[in-house]
Amino acid sequence: MAEKFDNLEEHLEKFVENIRQLGIIVSDFQPSSQTGLNQKLNFMITGLQDIEKCRQQLHDINVPLEVFEYIDQGRNPQLYTKECLERALAKNEQIKGKNDTLTKFKSLLVSELGKVFPEEMAKYKAIHGDDPPS
Amino acid sequence: MTEIFSTLFGQNDAQPSTGQAGLGFAAGKPPPPMPSNQAPVAAQIPGQLGDEGPTLRKPGAMNEPFYLLRELPVGNELTGNTNLITHYSLEHAFNKFCGKKVKEKLSNFLPELPGMIDCPGIQDGSSLRSLIEKPPVCGNSFSPLTGALLTGFRLHTGPLPEQYRLMHIQPPKKKSKQKRNPRPLDPLPPETPSDSDPKKKKKKRDDDPDRKKKKKDKKKKKSRHSPDHPGLTGSQPNSNSLR
Repeated sequence: MAEKFDNLEEHLEKFVENIRQLGIIVSDFQPSSQTGLNQKLNFMITGLQDIEKCRQQLHDINVPLEVFEYIDQGRNPQLYTKECLERALAKNEQIKGKNDTLTKFKSLLVSELGKVFPEEMAKYKAIHGDDPPS
Repeated sequence: MTEIFSTLFGQNDAQPSTGQAGLGFAAGKPPPPMPSNQAPVAAQIPGQLGDEGPTLRKPGAMNEPFYLLRELPVGNELTGNTNLITHYSLEHAFNKFCGKKVKEKLSNFLPELPGMIDCPGIQDGSSLRSLIEKPPVCGNSFSPLTGALLTGFRLHTGPLPEQYRLMHIQPPKKKSKQKRNPRPLDPLPPETPSDSDPKKKKKKRDDDPDRKKKKKDKKKKKSRHSPDHPGLTGSQPNSNSLR
């Protein structure tokens, strides 16, 4: 799995470097640099071909759209992962708190109902059994 | 509806208990016998109320003292009570991303990428969102450019117009600045014996391949700023271009 990404990363780095050098040539163009420019243009096409080949290996990779928002804003995409994990943990704690509160409420309710309606609660427990604490 | 409720409760207990009387249910009078037309209504109730949540018990069970008693939902082993980070073995990822401070800028994630990548993509039309909304034309194969096609890439000599020069500006790399600073100081205190170590370190540094790559990048940067490009012949007129 990591090899597929390494391969793509390598091709992308070469492609970006090629484009950068192309930009340097173009920024102050001279007639003698025409052959170099043509070579860089063909390197660009072969680079795109190599990246196209990598695409087949990565067809099952899904990227969440929210990451693109971070990249478009110039922010580190690792912040998205960080915020996902923090939100997951916070939600986990919130749900655990709710579960604990509802369990306590249930036990209190059963005990109080048992005091007020002892016979009915006995029948209820006979039907449902002694429910294990959730 | 309340008549059905009281009649059903009245079938089991002809005399209401004190507890129920205290709450106001089945107040004192003997409940009337359940009329025959109530049976189909009672049979309909499970159908109406069984659409939500667990299924109701069968109508035969409704003769018991509890009305609308539902089956308990099937318990799930994985609930919010479990630490899901531990359950899915994400402690390492959690410590990596949440334990340390993650840098804000995109250039910290992609330090080798040239250009101003920290700017929002919307400003220069390079956003990924626009790529998704308006995907480019795909499907055609990439074929190398022939001689005839390459004639279209014959450029005018000289520097770029000013409006296009800003594209080559790169943000200053802080790491290189931090390493540049001690360099001019190195030759200053060579007298003390402890300073022979930075010279050795400097030599060791030069031997690293990474170091060589960075030197090459710096040379390229200098060449960009200077009118003479490496590998390109000819003297260049002085240009005041900002690159």
